[in-house]
Amino acid sequence: MRGRGLGAAILLGGVVLTAGACATSAPPPPPPPSAAAPKPPPMRQSDDFLVVIPNTRETSASLAAQYLGDQSKAWMIEDYTGAATFPAGQAVVIPKRPWNLTGVSATGYRLVPILVYHNLDRAAKGKLVQSAASFEQQMRYLKSEGYRPITMGEFLEFTRMGRQLPKKAVVLTFDDGYKSFKLFAYPVLKELGFSATLFVYTDYVGAGRNALSWPELKDLQAEGFDVQAHSKTHSDLRRAPGETSAQFERRMQAELALPRDMFKRQLGQMPETLAYPYGWWDTDVLKQVKASGYMAAFTVRRQANPSFVSPLTIHRSQIYADMTLEDFAKNLTVFQEEDLR
Amino acid sequence: MSLRRVVLLAAMAVTAAACATGAPPVEQAPPGGMVSSQRQALVASYSERAQALETDGRLREALEARKIALTVDPDNAAARDGLRAAQAKIDGLISQRLAEGRAAQARGAQVAARRSFLGVLALDPENRAAFEALREQTPDVEGLPHIVRAGDTLAGLAQQYYGNRALGEVIAEANRLAPNARLAAGTQLKIPEVPGVALIRPGARKDPPHASLPGPGAPPATPATPATPASVQREEPAEVNPLLVEARESLERKDYATALGDADRLLASTPSNAEAQALKRSALYGLGKTQYDQKQYKDSYATLGQLVKLAPNHEDAAKLLRQSRGRLIDDHFGRGIRYYREEKLPEAIAEWKAVLEIDPQHIAARKNLEQSERLLKSLEERKQ
Repeated sequence: MRGRGLGAAILLGGVVLTAGACATSAPPPPPPPSAAAPKPPPMRQSDDFLVVIPNTRETSASLAAQYLGDQSKAWMIEDYTGAATFPAGQAVVIPKRPWNLTGVSATGYRLVPILVYHNLDRAAKGKLVQSAASFEQQMRYLKSEGYRPITMGEFLEFTRMGRQLPKKAVVLTFDDGYKSFKLFAYPVLKELGFSATLFVYTDYVGAGRNALSWPELKDLQAEGFDVQAHSKTHSDLRRAPGETSAQFERRMQAELALPRDMFKRQLGQMPETLAYPYGWWDTDVLKQVKASGYMAAFTVRRQANPSFVSPLTIHRSQIYADMTLEDFAKNLTVFQEEDLR
Repeated sequence: MSLRRVVLLAAMAVTAAACATGAPPVEQAPPGGMVSSQRQALVASYSERAQALETDGRLREALEARKIALTVDPDNAAARDGLRAAQAKIDGLISQRLAEGRAAQARGAQVAARRSFLGVLALDPENRAAFEALREQTPDVEGLPHIVRAGDTLAGLAQQYYGNRALGEVIAEANRLAPNARLAAGTQLKIPEVPGVALIRPGARKDPPHASLPGPGAPPATPATPATPASVQREEPAEVNPLLVEARESLERKDYATALGDADRLLASTPSNAEAQALKRSALYGLGKTQYDQKQYKDSYATLGQLVKLAPNHEDAAKLLRQSRGRLIDDHFGRGIRYYREEKLPEAIAEWKAVLEIDPQHIAARKNLEQSERLLKSLEERKQ
C-alpha cells in the first residue's frame, strides 16, 4: 500500500514536470490529419509484451479492452505496471499473457486467503452466527480495498499452475448450507459481483429448519455459485480409537462417496472438492478422500495458500461473529516475503 | 515500483526528445510504429533497468526488462545479446538449484529443499519440476518446539508467537489437538510457521541458516507478550454441527418436543455423537417433566421410561418416573371405581387392566377386576 502511494506520487510528479518542460519550448501541436480517423498510438509488440505510448489518457480497463480484447483483464495491466491510469505520451508495458503462473518471485510468493463463513442472521449470536450488517461491511471492505473474490475453479487452476491470479485474489466459502446464505449473503455478493462456494453436508440439506434445500442449491449453482461437499453427517472423519479398518472404510464410504452420488442426482454434477468437517483430517482420511475422487480438500487452519499448496490440505480462515474489521483484515495476507535470490 | 519509475524515465526521455526536435515524433513514425528516438530511449532505459536488477540478483525481472527492450526494438543487437546472456545465467542457476533441492530432499533436509525449489520458481515461475516438488512436500516443514508451562493456552501461545490470538487454532491443528484443548504442563508442542505471518521467536534463539520464516523482509521480531492465564479465556470449538445448534436452541426455548426431534435426526446419522445423546436426555427429561406438571401422566410415564432406559443412573428421571407411574395407576384405578359405580363394567374392567399392565402386583386392582368380570359374566348369563 505504502509502495503504491509513493509510486503514484512519483508518476504524477513526472507528468507535471514533463508537461511543464514542453510547454515553454515546444510549438503548439499540429492539427490532427483527419478528424474521422485518429492516428493509432505508437506501439510495438512481441510474443510476451506490448509497449504502447497512448495518445490520450487511458485506464487499465480501456487498455485491456483495446489490446487484450477483454476489459476484465485490466488487473494484468494493473498488476504489471502498478498503476490503473496512464497519461498520454508515456510508454505503458502490457503483458500479453500470464507472466508468473505460480506467483513466486525474488522477493517472496503470492498467497490466496480463503475465508469461511457459517450462519448469518439479523443480529450476531455467539461466535458462529454473524450479523448480516457485519458481513456486508466486510464485503464492502474487500471491494474498496481492491480484493477480488475469485471462483473456487479459478483458485484450483492456480494450484495446478494453470492460471495466474490477480494480486489480491481471495476465495469466499460458506459452510453447512444455511438458508441465511440466500437471505443475507446472496444479495450482497450479487450486488458486488463476488463469487462464492457453498460446502454443504448432505444430511442437513433440506432437513434442518435453517437448511437450504436441493432445489435452492441447484438455483444457486445455476447463478454461478459453486456447491461442494462437506461430508454426509458432519462428524469427525478421523479414525476413531478402536475402529477397525473395515469399519473405517465403511464409514468413509458413507461420508465421502455417498455425497458424490447424491450431488450427481440432485445437482447434476459430482463435487470436486471437500471441506473437512471441523477442518479435521489425518493421513488415513487423506487417502480415502483421494480414493473417493476428490481433487482438493480444505481444512480450517487460519492461513493463506501459495500456488504450491498441497491440494488435499488447502487452508481456510474462519471468520467469527465477534471479529472487528481490523481482525477480519488480518486474514487477508496476500504475499509472503522471502528472499529467494 | 522501480519498474514504474523506469517506465516514467523512459517516457520523460521520449518527451524530452520530442521537445528537442521541436515536433511531435509521432508524426514521423510509420502507422503504429515508434520513431527511432522513442525506441532508443525506451531500449536504453529498459536495458539499464535490467542491469540494475541483475546486480540486485533479481534475474527473472531482469530477463523481463530485457524482453521489453527487445519488444521495442527487435533488431537491437546489444539487447539481443543481453537477453541471451541473462537466459543462459538463469538456466545454469535453475539446474544448480534443482540439483541442490533434490539432494536436500534425499537427505531429508526439507527446509533446504523447499528453499532451493522456491529459488527455482523465482527464476522460472513455470518450472514444473520445482512446483511439483514443493506441492508434494509435507506440510509444516518447520516449526519451533515449545514446552507447555502452567497457564499456557492455545490463544496465549498464538499471541506470543504470532501476535494474533486467533491463530491458536493453527497450533491446535498442527498438534492434533481440539481447538479448545487444555494444555498439560510439560507437553512438547510444535509451533508451526504460518505463511504471511512473522513467527516471533523467543529471545536469543538463533535461526537455522535456511529458516524459511521469518522472511528477510518480514517485520522485525517484537518482544514476546506474556500469555494470558488459562482461567481468562476458554476457546469455543472452531465449528459446530448445525443440527446440534438447532437442538440446543430448541432446548433453550424449552421446546422439548422439537429438541427431541432435532437430536433424533442427528443421532440417526451419528449414533455415537455424545453431545447429541446428552441433548436427547435433556430434551426427554424436560418433556417428561412438562407432561407430568400438566398431569399428562401417561405421556410423562412413556417419555421418562424412555429416558431411564437410556440413562439408568439419571436419579431425577427415575424419581419422576416413579411419581408418574403412581399417578397413572391412581388415575386408572380411580376411573375404574367411577365406572363401576356408574355400572359401566366393561369400562371399569379396562381401567383396572391398565393398572395391572403397569403394576401386575396391584392387589386391589386385581381383586376389583376379578370381581367385576365375575359380575359381568353372571349378568350376561342371566340375560340369556
